Amino acid sequence: MRTPIDSRRLILDRIRTATQNQSQGALAYAELPRSYIRRGRLGAQDRLKLMIERLREYDAEVVECAPDELQAAIGAQLALSGRRVFVAPAGLPADWLAAGFDWKIDRDLAITEIEQAEGVVTTAFCGVADTGTIVLHHAESEGRRVLTLLPDWHLCILYASQVVETLPEYFDRCQLPPPLATYISGPSATADIEMTRIKGVHGPRFLNVVLVRDED
Amino acid sequence: MSGSFTGRPVLDPRLAPPFPTAALPVLRNPQLRKNVAHATDVIQSKRARLVAEKTDWQQLRTAAAAIRSHALNHLGEYLEEFEARCNAAGGTVHWASDAAEARSIILELLRQEQASEVIKIKTMTSAEIQLNPALEAAGIHAHETDLAELILQLGEDEPSHIVVPALHVNRSQVREIFARRMGLEGLPDDPPALAAAARNYLRQKFLTIPTAISGANFLIAETGSVAIVESEGNGRMCLTLPRTLITLTGIEKVLPRFQDLEVMLQLLARSATGERMSPYTSLWTGVTPGDGPERFHVVLLDNGRSSILARPTERQTLRCIRCAACLNTCPVYRLTGGHAYGSVYPGPIGAILTPQLMHMKYAQSLPFASSLCGACYEACPVKIDIPKVLLELRSQVVNQERVQAARFGDPMFIGMKAAHRIFSGARRFRAAQWLGRFALRLFTRRDGWIHSLPGLGAKWTQTRDLRGLPSQSFRQWWAARGKEDR
Repeated sequence: MRTPIDSRRLILDRIRTATQNQSQGALAYAELPRSYIRRGRLGAQDRLKLMIERLREYDAEVVECAPDELQAAIGAQLALSGRRVFVAPAGLPADWLAAGFDWKIDRDLAITEIEQAEGVVTTAFCGVADTGTIVLHHAESEGRRVLTLLPDWHLCILYASQVVETLPEYFDRCQLPPPLATYISGPSATADIEMTRIKGVHGPRFLNVVLVRDED
Repeated sequence: MSGSFTGRPVLDPRLAPPFPTAALPVLRNPQLRKNVAHATDVIQSKRARLVAEKTDWQQLRTAAAAIRSHALNHLGEYLEEFEARCNAAGGTVHWASDAAEARSIILELLRQEQASEVIKIKTMTSAEIQLNPALEAAGIHAHETDLAELILQLGEDEPSHIVVPALHVNRSQVREIFARRMGLEGLPDDPPALAAAARNYLRQKFLTIPTAISGANFLIAETGSVAIVESEGNGRMCLTLPRTLITLTGIEKVLPRFQDLEVMLQLLARSATGERMSPYTSLWTGVTPGDGPERFHVVLLDNGRSSILARPTERQTLRCIRCAACLNTCPVYRLTGGHAYGSVYPGPIGAILTPQLMHMKYAQSLPFASSLCGACYEACPVKIDIPKVLLELRSQVVNQERVQAARFGDPMFIGMKAAHRIFSGARRFRAAQWLGRFALRLFTRRDGWIHSLPGLGAKWTQTRDLRGLPSQSFRQWWAARGKEDR
């Protein structure tokens, strides 16, 4: 039986032997070809239109509002959902916690408490219009990962200024690589049975987005 | 699998029958062929639509191929960088030189956890090292949580596709398996009801089983992070709820930087499932207090990969990001499905990867399971020239056979040797033509066709007729024509 140290050395030695003769055409990292599209070409209105269109293609619900209408928009969404018990990350603004609902604020909530919640409200780090993707970096108001996983209904507050057109533009917005990230493109789904897309297997079945027009 | 197979498919390349033999039962099973054709058609048409809308698709492929090649050229450095960052972030990196070592590392970790059950995200690498049977033998039950993997596990079947492992099973077969194994007699066969049954079946397991095993789509050297792309949310469950997470991954999965994901993620889902992005992409780095597992282990698996790395033509095999676009487009795979390949990696990529992982000692029929049409190369998001690698592997297989055949006086070998002699001299060639015409005349019927030949020639005439040789060769005709003209 090899010791762990031996296996590490063995594998790295094999790799070094295999790669010691670099071919002529081998490129350094900085020289790698990157001629794909980085920046989008759409204006602000079209970019948001695309984001909304893509989200709706995934069966996500989208509503738009002005910044001063946000509180009311959240309340309306919660009421429309027909649900009562919600979890919220500790960093969510207190005035978003609409009256008339049961709020559990995630200060070390037990998994069972999160599981029993009917919905969750969070912010996001970014939205990518081209793929209809919502990016979470799990900051204070975005919640830890399990918070947006167990409840069946996720309401995400996304600002227009957070929406980029292309995926590379999102990467440009990251000052540093995030230690944790979840990219959500529509509600949980599967096509494992006869390639029929079914919404909602284990993750939330419902994704709702309030898009706040903070750029107008 | 009741009804669709004669026994459980064998996916161990050391035990599986050769491809032509293994393909026969599938070709004779119309239901299975229908299931495979339907699934591959659906993915193909979705993929085609989404690739067409991407005006920089070729530029993305070029970038992805270059990034993956660069990562492989510097694999040692990037793996050490990944290891250092992952360990610094609270993870523990282990190195496994082969399948047996990977299994024993994982079993030892599970022993320390005193685990009697684990939850698993779909990982082809764990199938490659045959982890589940080893876990069962050690008294640890593995629960597959991906819907397709669950169907296969409960149906005692094997995967036939890299991305959609149960694509050969249709809804009524799924219904039958779930009804029987979950005790749900009145279960209808519509897909939403079947998915809901899987959700209920697995929910408590997610919430209570404290140990999970995953694969990885990408490792990031720069940060020590791991990325997993999935659809159902079972992956997120396994990555966030348990106390301990063990990630098993091939050494080739490393990317230099976080930003390289901007290329890979644009290609992967479009190629794999015909979606712009898969519903969930998860990225994590070591252990984060208060969010997710308290203990995190990565097992880096070599198992033949470093020997592929050593060969210049074959190295590109390791660029693969397991999207399975080559399977869906392959005219051979589309007829035979995955089980005929006798490996967890079927289709064109399997035809080059499997024999190489077996150090060319097994699965030698796979490089011949291709028409060399090149559709796989065209579909590949990281531009692996699969036909070129197939040809290289074919020549290696023939060279192996040549050594063995010479020893046993194999008729094919003697025939090829003789042909080599005949074709290398004009006089010998003319003499052989004359002899051949004379000999074949004995078998040519009055209609001008040869309907049956003895010996090796029968291999041809069993399935088709051969036109008799004309009374004159081209050279004779040409020479005679020249005389007339003068």
